[in-house]
Amino acid sequence: MSSVLACMDVFLRDGLMYSILALGFYISFSILDFADLSVEGTVLLGGVSYSLLVCKGVNPWLAVIVAFVLGSLAGCVTGLLHVKLKIRPLLCGILVSTALISVNLVLAVVGNGGSFNGEGALSTISFSRNDPTVLRTFPASLIPDKTGAFNLRELITFLVVALIFKWILDWYLKTKNGLLLRATGCNEQYVSMLAQNPGRSKITGLAISNGYAAVAGALIATSRANANQGMGIGMIVIGLASVIIGLSLFGKLRFLKPTTMVILGSIVYQACLAIATYLGVPSAYNKIIMAVLFTVALVFSNSIKKGASKA
Amino acid sequence: MIEFIDIVKKFNVGTPDETTLFDGFNLKIEKGEFVCVVGSNGSGKTTMLNLLCGSLPVDSGKIVLDGKNITKMNEYVRAKYIGRVFQDPQKGSAAKLTILENMALADNKNKRYLLTPAINKKRMDYYKSLLEECNMGLENRLDVQVGSLSGGQRQALALVIANMSDIDILILDEHTAALDPKSSERIMQLTDMFVKEKKATALMVTHNLRYAVEYGTRLIMMDKGRIVLDKAGEEKQNTKIDDILYQFNQISIECGN
Repeated sequence: MSSVLACMDVFLRDGLMYSILALGFYISFSILDFADLSVEGTVLLGGVSYSLLVCKGVNPWLAVIVAFVLGSLAGCVTGLLHVKLKIRPLLCGILVSTALISVNLVLAVVGNGGSFNGEGALSTISFSRNDPTVLRTFPASLIPDKTGAFNLRELITFLVVALIFKWILDWYLKTKNGLLLRATGCNEQYVSMLAQNPGRSKITGLAISNGYAAVAGALIATSRANANQGMGIGMIVIGLASVIIGLSLFGKLRFLKPTTMVILGSIVYQACLAIATYLGVPSAYNKIIMAVLFTVALVFSNSIKKGASKA
Repeated sequence: MIEFIDIVKKFNVGTPDETTLFDGFNLKIEKGEFVCVVGSNGSGKTTMLNLLCGSLPVDSGKIVLDGKNITKMNEYVRAKYIGRVFQDPQKGSAAKLTILENMALADNKNKRYLLTPAINKKRMDYYKSLLEECNMGLENRLDVQVGSLSGGQRQALALVIANMSDIDILILDEHTAALDPKSSERIMQLTDMFVKEKKATALMVTHNLRYAVEYGTRLIMMDKGRIVLDKAGEEKQNTKIDDILYQFNQISIECGN
């Protein structure tokens, strides 16, 4: 029984943590119809910059905001490559995430006070026991750390952060600027006719979505108590699968906002992975399970779309 | 006043398929004119609109609007002065947004799109009154996604949206071509109503010769990038379908259609 609860604890935590990444993908993939691969780099950028600042004793919430800003800047680069240089979305993402590999490595090595002579030795940033992460400072520190099998403090903190970012996005999408972003995703010509630059709107969207990815990176680093250079791998599948599962599984429920569906999708996806682990599937199979789940979600959402167009 | 001055436009430059559509094209449209443009496929009607709106660049020549040279202006910058309705009803609004959201966006045209609430409840009655003029029942469906409307309804909405801001020019690019006869009749009546109400300069491309004769204050027929017929004022009002049909057939026979 206790292992069931531990399994729940894991997927709730991971689901909430990755839901912010999924919200980012909701903006780029669902709203803007832009397959943004730069996220692999920006998640790590968020994780690395947050960890560095926290290790230096900076307030962790400020570090989260810095992570958001840096992620947004990377998103701007992706957007500018696409809008100004007319490079295809997939390639823009590959270019930016490739460049970010170096950026992250340099940041981590230099931040750790290392030089480039002993290569890679210091590329992982680990928190010590006393480093003030978001979990160890006010206000999260007021919550009891554990109740039974649950890491209560971590769950509640991540839930609150996820909800805050969801509410910010909900609010934004109802502003004039947000509505323009949604219009850009479905009809660029229409945005041009409104005397607005659709390119600017796209860049804004990509900046926000990559900012969200970087915040997810900060939470992942908090939860794992380190930021290592492999952190970004697999983030695209996790984010996209969460969005697609969320929107196709809960799409019929009109009273839910799409942002809520995406968060639920992220939790469902992590639950599937956690259950596989619980059933004793070795963790080496994790990525193949992820790919299979993603495929199932894609097929499922396609069949729903077909059904809708027939009706 | 819209002026096309010595416009040159080539397509497929540098390939064996290079064609010159406009070679020194000139056209002057006075303020407040409602110009109907007819002509066979490939005669340059839609290209002329695209050049005016900035969707295509000119190779040489000038486009002047009320004394301002707008030739080098970006499409979205020119859009301040221009309202446009396309042949494809889907192009005139955003499918995933509701009618209300689409109208709220259009209502803000020529202002800045900041982080303020998009929908102003006080404007709802105004939106409804605009939609009532269309007589399509849209005024009671403000919260419906535009993507689920019929072609005729979407085109009516596109027409309303194009006319919501202060525009100098209304561009109608075969905007009834994708509609059934009844809807297209309704859209034409609405178009006429809006043009008269707004007193904007209107430029309508159509394949329907009857509309071209019935509506508008000036009639232009184009062929291979040239203007082959240009009737305005009383001369236009006295034109019968048969007169232009004869001319149109001559062109089409030359083209081998």
